[in-house]
Amino acid sequence: MEPRLTVQLTLKAYDVLLPVATGFVEKTALTLGLGKKEALALALATEEVFLYLCHISAPETEVEIRCRSSAYCTATDFIFEAAGFQMKAFNLTAIPSFEDEASIQETGLLIASRVVDRFNLHYVGKRLLLTFVKDKAYPETAGLDVPVSVPLSRFFIRRPDVEEVKAAVRMIRHYCRDRFNPPEIDFPGKVADIFASGELDAALAMDSVGHIGGALFWSRDVPEGVECFGPYIFHSESDPEMAIGLLDRCIEEIARSGAVGLINRYSGTGLPPGYFEPLGVLTFSRGDGTRVDVEASYRHLREDKGIVVWAHPDLDPFLESQYKKCILPREIQWVTVEGEKKFSSSVLSAEMNRFGHWVVLRPLVYGEHAATALADHVRLLEKEGFSSIFFEMDLKNAWQAHFTPGLLKNAFEPRLVIPYGGKGDLVVFQHRTHDKA
Amino acid sequence: MISFFSPKKLLPRYIQTFEAYVPSRPDPELMKRYGCSRLFRLNNNENALGPPPEAREVLRRFPPKAAALYPSGDAFYLRHALARQFNKDPEQFLVGNGANEVIAFVIKAFCEQGDNIVTADKTFAVYEWVARFSGLEARLTPLRDFAFDDQAMLARMDERSKIVFLCNPNNPTGTYWDRTRLCGFLDRVDGRAVVVMDEAYAEFVEARDYPDGMSLMETYPNLVVFRTFSKMYGLAGLRIGYLVGSSEVVNVIRRTCIVYSVNRLAQEAALASVPAMDHILATRQMVREGKVYLHRELKALGLPFISGEGNFLMVRLPFSDTLAYRKLMTRGVMVRTMTTFRFPNYIRITISSMEAMEALITALRRILT
Repeated sequence: MEPRLTVQLTLKAYDVLLPVATGFVEKTALTLGLGKKEALALALATEEVFLYLCHISAPETEVEIRCRSSAYCTATDFIFEAAGFQMKAFNLTAIPSFEDEASIQETGLLIASRVVDRFNLHYVGKRLLLTFVKDKAYPETAGLDVPVSVPLSRFFIRRPDVEEVKAAVRMIRHYCRDRFNPPEIDFPGKVADIFASGELDAALAMDSVGHIGGALFWSRDVPEGVECFGPYIFHSESDPEMAIGLLDRCIEEIARSGAVGLINRYSGTGLPPGYFEPLGVLTFSRGDGTRVDVEASYRHLREDKGIVVWAHPDLDPFLESQYKKCILPREIQWVTVEGEKKFSSSVLSAEMNRFGHWVVLRPLVYGEHAATALADHVRLLEKEGFSSIFFEMDLKNAWQAHFTPGLLKNAFEPRLVIPYGGKGDLVVFQHRTHDKA
Repeated sequence: MISFFSPKKLLPRYIQTFEAYVPSRPDPELMKRYGCSRLFRLNNNENALGPPPEAREVLRRFPPKAAALYPSGDAFYLRHALARQFNKDPEQFLVGNGANEVIAFVIKAFCEQGDNIVTADKTFAVYEWVARFSGLEARLTPLRDFAFDDQAMLARMDERSKIVFLCNPNNPTGTYWDRTRLCGFLDRVDGRAVVVMDEAYAEFVEARDYPDGMSLMETYPNLVVFRTFSKMYGLAGLRIGYLVGSSEVVNVIRRTCIVYSVNRLAQEAALASVPAMDHILATRQMVREGKVYLHRELKALGLPFISGEGNFLMVRLPFSDTLAYRKLMTRGVMVRTMTTFRFPNYIRITISSMEAMEALITALRRILT
């Protein structure tokens, strides 16, 4: 497992130091494993953010820049005093404007957010932590041989090596192409890197001569839990014995990890009975326009001791019914609006899967015009061909609950609750776009 | 200068990846959240009969002012009583704040970075946890037929294996090694490592071929035995347990032993509990009757179970154990989920009073339909 590295630089927000900031990020990103093109993209984002901070910051204000390596990406953090920082430019719907000096500066932020693959914003005390992430570039797997799938009369379960991981990913792409898979499946090399880094683990069902009969992957990407992908059974639609073997191995590995639960959002068919609890369905659209309901499921790894969740009263009937159905002990605290000041704008992030035509919106900042921001996002995403639009709300963060009225007003409906799917329970809303199909 | 403090920077790598154990909430909180008005605790293998009468009397007459005084730092009188009971030297005993603490004493005494411990994958978790958060490798061997696999454990040992942890009888499967198997194992370890035999449930065992670890220490000076007052003696709430070993080994472990960690009330109640034979016999009777009842009812429900020695048994459910926990909680029955013991879809049930056993079966019947 490669060590994760962090390199850090603190600068005063003076534009004369711009080359230092961009040079630092570019060189560090290259050193940490990004290609030239991707490192330049991070450097460009740095240029735009740093220049913006130079314009809005008081003299002597310091900006901390950190570059962090990961198996398949590099993240650059900016930590700074947040006063005057206009976050609305990070909305997907923001439009470049050159009307005045302020608009031109904000356009720089917009550019920065578009040249990276992901970004995040959150407050650390009075300072803002802005994170840009750029992924390594990986080739697609098209054209490579796919291992043959044979029925395994006898099999054993074991942890694969990196080459076996890539082979299994190619088999998933080939033999399980009708299932809804995480986007990383398109890039076996990326999956192999994540696996080698320890961020992803796997079990394969194999026979004594090395044929791969099935696979299961799992990741600790969820703050409180583990998300698993599979079990994938290659030779037939289902093989309960193999599926149980793969799941048991996963559970044995994570049972004492401290994770609260195991989430399975892409199961499709093949889950053995009794292992998971159904949470509800999300509707996806295929390329041919047909719709398919995919069931999300879950199992606790520990006894549920109950937690406090924050929600908007408009969500009361849904939450009550979900928590009753799943027998989850929850103390619901209702958020209120009592004249307190809000941020000047609401900001959302958008994780897009263009191949699958779906997108997940997540709230970054709650402020004024939340409903309008949602409406604008829906309009734009529909125009760009996204037929499944989701919104994830973490009930651990009270401020996110304030998006509820805007969501309901904009034809989003709550579809399911994933226990501990975020820092707390995660409500997944889906826009009723599919009703029009 | 903007300071950005991250405690993670200061953490050893093995702590960065280790997550804290979150204990269960107090009963009133759980009852409130699950909406039950009474709760049968069948999750921790506690003794439904409570402490022996002699210990109850100590608890009743404990003078509040005595709480202001430090206890004996090394449980002097208790060690002497145990020595008389087991015909050993008082210096062969170390008393801790529950058996969990003495696990840490042994590991700290013998292990350093690069060392490992060997135990089973599906057993009491604390051996593995303490090793991992001490930066040590925990080498886990699969159970064979639900019992510790002696051959596999020997195969995993190397020159850096300092301690082998056996749980006899095993929690949660109730399996045990008999004297022949234990001695055969100790012979093959041949003094290369300390062998810890956790006998937390020894007082419940009625099988004639169950070995008494204490009687083997003269032959095997690397053998250390753990006992607890939490199970048979009903003093779990006071947290007191102990280890016994050869004087040579115990003198080493004493170096890492935290003195004054066992409170006065616990020491006095434990002292009064030795030997409490009537209490042991009454508890065994309750467990025996409970097992007979549960075996019959579980068979009638079509639920497979694993029942060996100890005041517990495991039941295989046709659905997730954690879902079963939540469903049973709403009916006032708390069991232990076994996913964390690496037995997905099993629950462990404490054999308790007949009223509790009947409540459990009624609740199980309801959640299965």
